[in-house]
Amino acid sequence: MIAPGPSRATPIRLVLVDDHRMFRSGVKAELDESMLIVGEAADVDEAIVVVARARPDVVLLDVHLPGGNGHGGSDVITGSAGVTSESGEPVRFLALSVSDAAEDVIAVIRAGARGYVTKTIDGRDLTDAIRRVADGDAVFSPRLAGFVLDAFGAAAGEVAVVDEELDRLSAREREVMRLIARGYQYKEVAKELFISIKTVETHVSSVLRKLQLSSRHELTAWAVGRHLL
Amino acid sequence: MPTPYELPQPPSVPGARRPVRRMERPVHGRRLAGVCAGLAEHLGLNVRYVRLAFFLSCLAGGAGIVAYLFLWALTPQSLDSGPVAGPDAVGASRPANESLRNLVIGLGLLAVGGVFFAQQQGVNLRLGVMIPLLAVAAGVVLAWSKLDEAERGRWLARDMGSGGRRGALVRLGIGIALATVGVIVLATQGRGLAGLWDVGIAAVAVLVGAGLIAAPWGVRLWGDLRTEQTQRIRETERADIAAHLHDSVLQTLALIQRKAGEPAEVVRLARAQERELRGWLYAGPLGSQASLASAVTEVAHEVEDLHGVPIELVVTGDRPLELAGTALVQALREALLNAVRHGAPPVSVYVEVGPEVVEAFVRDHGPGFELTEVPPDRFGVRESILGRMRRHGGSAGVRRLEHGTEISLRLPVTASFESTTQPGALAQPDMVTPPDTERSR
Repeated sequence: MIAPGPSRATPIRLVLVDDHRMFRSGVKAELDESMLIVGEAADVDEAIVVVARARPDVVLLDVHLPGGNGHGGSDVITGSAGVTSESGEPVRFLALSVSDAAEDVIAVIRAGARGYVTKTIDGRDLTDAIRRVADGDAVFSPRLAGFVLDAFGAAAGEVAVVDEELDRLSAREREVMRLIARGYQYKEVAKELFISIKTVETHVSSVLRKLQLSSRHELTAWAVGRHLL
Repeated sequence: MPTPYELPQPPSVPGARRPVRRMERPVHGRRLAGVCAGLAEHLGLNVRYVRLAFFLSCLAGGAGIVAYLFLWALTPQSLDSGPVAGPDAVGASRPANESLRNLVIGLGLLAVGGVFFAQQQGVNLRLGVMIPLLAVAAGVVLAWSKLDEAERGRWLARDMGSGGRRGALVRLGIGIALATVGVIVLATQGRGLAGLWDVGIAAVAVLVGAGLIAAPWGVRLWGDLRTEQTQRIRETERADIAAHLHDSVLQTLALIQRKAGEPAEVVRLARAQERELRGWLYAGPLGSQASLASAVTEVAHEVEDLHGVPIELVVTGDRPLELAGTALVQALREALLNAVRHGAPPVSVYVEVGPEVVEAFVRDHGPGFELTEVPPDRFGVRESILGRMRRHGGSAGVRRLEHGTEISLRLPVTASFESTTQPGALAQPDMVTPPDTERSR
């Protein structure tokens, strides 16, 4: 459904981190040959070692993991800070979870993940999401867009006057988030708003940045709920 | 995601690290309080040598007594009542009375010996004070040793066998009586200043002694109680989880196995079970039943259950559920039914409850339809969705997208939530949402 990103000459190097082996093998079976799995890990400590050794482009990361300091996926991200992929880009993380709990999602995003998808996602959408994250873009599920609208007060009508304001969404960002929450793909969002897909990606990345840096009470409260601050 | 259950302990492998063992005082095979037997088992020594060592150290300035009391105070009684291995195992069924008798006799002998020894050395022990003091001490020992044995759990729970209980009470009574008599004798024997001095010292001695005896017992009682409490809480929790899993997940899994040939049914069951379990684990962000968000959630789940098509639901904001809100929920239900019947998955619902307007979007990925193509006798879309929204001061629209259809519902809060019967107050034509209203808003 998502328009495929620019095709890459080399396969995306991927590390799978999930404590359920069944789920890992399920994901492996669904991915096509444009993905190369270079490592797997079942807990936080193993994951940090594997990521440092394999230097992947993207880490597919379960939110709930045993080990580390008890913060699951967030611990892997903080423990892998500064690791770069073989092409010199920072390692990117895509969070994957069965949990709907806002604090889990917000915590892992604020720790540095570039996106969040649920485990019920189908193989093709997952491939597209991984490709997008590998290109440095952000991936928002409808549910994450809903969280964002709630957390930034955008659903209640708060809108930033200047785009750079960290604690609010700009009017355009709000529109993009609303369309994603309605189940629109990036391509459809672009068509709906008469902008290019690249512009949609820019807006989503900007929202992701705000989500990570903002000190809005709702967001910090959620992060505190996961003992992140 | 980690489950809330602990993994069962892996079976102990020979050569693997032994689990940390706490020293415990065995119930059977004890002479006094089981300290020697426990220590012997813990260290892997013969009980006799341990006892001999304690006896010898008692002679060396009484160090053994102190050590014994410490160990008695700090080691818990063993829970399993298996007999200790060793030469003493024969005495496993020895009645508890015997150990008590040993204790009393031993202490008495020690005291008498000590007194005689002191007198021989020319020290005036003032037997008038000493004898009542000894009586008090004997009483206290009797009372407390009985408490230790009778196990405070049974003592507190009051469900012990009547015989054991009576015995314990009798002994407790005798001990207390002895102590009281001792104190009375002390208080009445001396007259004048010197006598008062004696009484004062004796009283302090008794209090300190009683305190010393009671303190370790109190410490252990507290420790035991806490262990027991946490254990009980854990057991209750485990039982709750087990009961819930049995009622829900196991039943659903059984159903799924029986319906393995019907993929649609399996998906429906799995989805319903997932929702139920999720609600149980995370206790749902939508608490009260009377809110708009929870009503929307309920409707979405209902439609999902009816047709087995997964619905991706996102709700932001919330407000109390009023009449107009109910109308919106009903229209939403109709739109959802329409989407799962005629559209194709994935079906997404987004409901935004804002301060001024409530908006809902239902989107599917089917071939789509135009309202003008719907025959006029079909009431679903025209009446249940568009008409209902108009009657409650809102509006609705149907849009055909490149992939699928989107039905949008819109209900201004201020106009409609107070006065719900204003036909056509904010009515708009049926096709209210041409592509550019989105952008101009």
